[in-house]
Amino acid sequence: MTHREFLKLIEDLLELEPGTLEGNEDLKGCGWSSLAVVGFMALADEQFGEIVSPAKLARCNTPNDLAALLGDRIGVSQTA
Amino acid sequence: MASTGIAGSRIAGIAASVPATVVGLEESRRLVGDLEARRVSQSTGIIERRVALPGTTAADLCQDAAERLVTSLAWRKDTIDALIFVTETPDYIVPATACCLQARLGLGKACAAFDVNLGCSGYVYGLWLAMALAAPGRLQRILVLTGDKLSSCISPEDRSVAMLFGDAGTATAIEADASGQAVSFELGTDGTGYGHLIIPAGAARFRGDSETCVVHEKENGNYRSDEQLFMDGAEIFAFALREVPQLIKTTLSAHGWGPDVPDAYVLHQANEFLLRHIAKKCGIPADKLPLSLHEYGNTSCASIPLTICQRLGEAIRERSLKLVLAGFGAGLSWAAAALTCGPAVILEPVVYGPASEAAEYKHDQSS
Repeated sequence: MTHREFLKLIEDLLELEPGTLEGNEDLKGCGWSSLAVVGFMALADEQFGEIVSPAKLARCNTPNDLAALLGDRIGVSQTA
Repeated sequence: MASTGIAGSRIAGIAASVPATVVGLEESRRLVGDLEARRVSQSTGIIERRVALPGTTAADLCQDAAERLVTSLAWRKDTIDALIFVTETPDYIVPATACCLQARLGLGKACAAFDVNLGCSGYVYGLWLAMALAAPGRLQRILVLTGDKLSSCISPEDRSVAMLFGDAGTATAIEADASGQAVSFELGTDGTGYGHLIIPAGAARFRGDSETCVVHEKENGNYRSDEQLFMDGAEIFAFALREVPQLIKTTLSAHGWGPDVPDAYVLHQANEFLLRHIAKKCGIPADKLPLSLHEYGNTSCASIPLTICQRLGEAIRERSLKLVLAGFGAGLSWAAAALTCGPAVILEPVVYGPASEAAEYKHDQSS
């Protein structure tokens, strides 16, 4: 999955306009909540078969941090 | 996982009782505001819940269900050989509430009675125990009562739990039956996660005192005391994703069923988003996933039998259904069963307590 496609998934999860995210935004300022946390966990499970560690997830501050949790299954950020 | 196949008994009937007081989204709005309350409700699927007022316990709700069920089955009370009460909210730490219920239900002194401290996995554990004990030549009739009053253990200022749980009590009658088909059980535990869903204080490890009942600010701006329920929602969600799909697949395999065979998958009513996700992973179509959480919320160990009474009663009264039951929660603990159930006496859920309760509750909230 490309980095852009991943950001699109996060935009959908947070109900943001397409193209809003570049990767380095502060998640908390983008509507990240407990519902988004479980939504992301479900997304990671469905799309990548990965059960994300809640402890690691709690340390994520940006969309790029979320992408890093999924390793090389997400393409390299074009904006980092 | 602990795997067992047990034959020689059957479910003769199930009943459920719920409190009169209905709590809707207005409670959630007070806590998190209108938008967030609607978002939470859309995700969890919980529109309203029922809560028991002070003075009513899980044992009262279970007693009511048991009385109605025993009457409907026309069981003489002195023919009941055992009573198993599954709960996280007993009347007392000592004695076992099952002993109190033996007397209150008027069962004979030859009745074995004991409590099981389990939550959301507890219904399947109760069935497993009862079916292991009941068989021709062994115990003949067993009551499995499952119920919780978690509303009494929840801080209204803790957003991680305040909008989820409802109270309910159920009774399931198990009867020895030589022609009873085998039931496949799968049970498991991961006690390393015990702290993810816990009431820390009030028992022997951490005695209750004047400090443990004081509400303090905790993580993420939530407020609760150490005598109230803590849940790490993300950890419980991860646990469920990790264990429940595999639990269902293993149970089907042990019973020799393909995923299309069961008529219904009755899962613990944790939250709708999670249940839909698990169903998708397991290839369970929506019409085979009955839900009761819209009306009752997460009712802990009562949620599986309450869902059967609410959604499947009409069918099971008439004929047999192939069911997979799966519970998962505090412990961390999980259990599933594959069984053919019915025809059996499945009673509609009944409201327990005076209708004045609801008005009294609204008065208390507004004063």
